[in-house]
Amino acid sequence: MLKKSQWKLNLGFSFFILFLILLLIQVSLQLTLVFAVSLAIGFTLQKSRFCFTSAFRDPLLVGVTNLTQAVILLLVISVPGFAIAAAIADMANYPLSLYVSPFGVHTVIGGILFGIGMVLAGGCSSGVLMRIGEGFAMQMIAFVGLLIGAFLGKYSLPFWQTSFGEVPGIFLPDKIGWLPAVAVQLFILLVLWKVTRWWQKKQNGVG
Amino acid sequence: MATFQIDIWGEMCPIPLIKTERQLKKMSCGDVLVLETDHSCTSRGIVLWARQHGHEINEKEVANGIWRLELTKRNN
Repeated sequence: MLKKSQWKLNLGFSFFILFLILLLIQVSLQLTLVFAVSLAIGFTLQKSRFCFTSAFRDPLLVGVTNLTQAVILLLVISVPGFAIAAAIADMANYPLSLYVSPFGVHTVIGGILFGIGMVLAGGCSSGVLMRIGEGFAMQMIAFVGLLIGAFLGKYSLPFWQTSFGEVPGIFLPDKIGWLPAVAVQLFILLVLWKVTRWWQKKQNGVG
Repeated sequence: MATFQIDIWGEMCPIPLIKTERQLKKMSCGDVLVLETDHSCTSRGIVLWARQHGHEINEKEVANGIWRLELTKRNN
């Protein structure tokens, strides 16, 4: 078994994507942007071997926290980015739908279910999609489960909300302003990062 | 100096890493463990883990989507 060069496939696929983007621009600019961004995210995910499952599972199971630190870094970058986007939208009077929803018992139940599922399936939603693209056939089965779960969740959400009730939502920026909210979050992330460093040292005896 | 191999084909993380851990316990220092996997993240995870535990490891993509790892046990 030798490693075959895939440059022909790469070239062909690049042309396909290029023409698809050109076609999409004719239809809608918004759709094109969404497509381009998701393409970039997918590429980055695959190349960086980024795995949310591993980030939450490995510290407890094998004491490796590299990916946990990567997730923290991701949040450190995206929290100010999010604030900047919101500030610009505010200045330009552009309505921004933030999908801030309150949490309740159903959030905890859903989190536990999702956690069990993602460890069994060996990937969260983005990980499963990325590995299907890589050609790992087992993840197709996980994808079917993901679809079933997503639809069940979507259609049973009103049931959960009415039977357990919700804690009134607290959106930090509304209470204390954007700048303090970002500062508080960055501080919490710094603490978490220190914790992961300490945990890795404790587990392996090396930093 | 013995060479061992365990079957981790088609397994997803974290199973390969747990199997590796178990196999390493049975081996003595200097022994080599050969692992072949078709799961990209598995190879990455094992390399990180092995380096942190002070073992020597070589990673090579021998065919498209197939990684061969050679782990030399360096400590208990």
